[in-house]
Amino acid sequence: MTMLDENDVALAAEYVLGLLDAASTVTVEARIATDPLFAAEVEAWRLRFQPMLHGDVTPPAHLWKSIENALPQATGQDVTESKLLFWRSLTGISVSAAAILGILFLQKPDNIPVPAPQAPLIAALGSETGVASLTASYDANTGRMIITPVSLETGNLYPELWIIPADGTARSLGIVGGKSATAIIVPANLRQYVSSGGTLAITPEPEGGAPGGKATGPVIASGKIATL
Amino acid sequence: MATDSVLVDFDTARRAALTDALLRTGKGDRSAFESVYKATSAKLFGVCLRIFNDRNEAEEALQDAFITIWNRAASFEAGRASPISWLVTVTRNRAIDRLRAKGKAGLASLDEAAEIADPVPLAEAQLLSQGEDDLLHGCIDGLDRRDAHFIRCAFIGGATYADLAAREGEPLGTIKSRIRRALLKLRTCMEGAS
Repeated sequence: MTMLDENDVALAAEYVLGLLDAASTVTVEARIATDPLFAAEVEAWRLRFQPMLHGDVTPPAHLWKSIENALPQATGQDVTESKLLFWRSLTGISVSAAAILGILFLQKPDNIPVPAPQAPLIAALGSETGVASLTASYDANTGRMIITPVSLETGNLYPELWIIPADGTARSLGIVGGKSATAIIVPANLRQYVSSGGTLAITPEPEGGAPGGKATGPVIASGKIATL
Repeated sequence: MATDSVLVDFDTARRAALTDALLRTGKGDRSAFESVYKATSAKLFGVCLRIFNDRNEAEEALQDAFITIWNRAASFEAGRASPISWLVTVTRNRAIDRLRAKGKAGLASLDEAAEIADPVPLAEAQLLSQGEDDLLHGCIDGLDRRDAHFIRCAFIGGATYADLAAREGEPLGTIKSRIRRALLKLRTCMEGAS
């Protein structure tokens, strides 16, 4: 965590007002995810500016029906709520930040987007304390996931990546690089779990990975998977 | 004094109920989502009307905003933001995205931006936020007139630095540094008064 100077304070306001270009916006969103003091200044500017938008007007009665009809059909899926909540509580980065980080990532020349039948999935992994952050992008057509660390320190342990779908059970996707990007081909039996709404998480594990496929270290970064 | 504390308690209770409904919406609870809609649709429709100044477009924007709220409610974290601040931010950003997609962002003239910033009469339950409204409007009015307009055009009209520089025919760096100075002045004014 850093002390905020005048530049940071003005930057937080510029971000809330929407004055910045796309590249600066990405930088700011990454900072919000990892710097609680800066995030608090952004929230303070939101509260300062929001009175500009005040003025209640009741919308027409038919609008609620249209919204309700536009929602996806209920699936009746059995979600293990407490487990899901536990993982969600660890998620620190907004979907929009994830989406923007994912877009930038996909623009890298070694990963030129091609027309694909399935939209790419992306996730930004972070933590409340801001010590670890990574981005992930996944192409369901090829099963290829690319993990890029922004900052990741696991000492003499190794960062292991987990997928946690709605059932709340973590399944290992293997050890990833702590300094540079790692490409993983997700095993066929695990691809069903990599979908929008699932969670990716990192735990520090001994060399060779978590013994018996059960995480031994704490979750140091996590993030929800979203459709790009 | 007694009246004040009753109002504060009412506000706190409302905020707690909204936080709870939003968290339950994040778990896919449709009836909780409906209570979020009932509690906030008038406020959020007001946000859309500020930005679009056209009823039909504001209705479409509000519908879009609530679908986004449903999809993203799981990312709301009660400890990081107040529920109403989160809802207004999602709604404002979705509406501005729509404005930009239609190629209308930042086009409102300075006079129009000033006009749409006129407050609408407030309901009784909003009396508490009246003080904050006055504080912001008072401090913005204390800025250089052009700077005040730039800030309104950005927040309500979706204008970026690049839009403002192009429209004013001034270098981006010039616009940027004067707005940054104005923002710091605005913060000093608002923090000093509260």
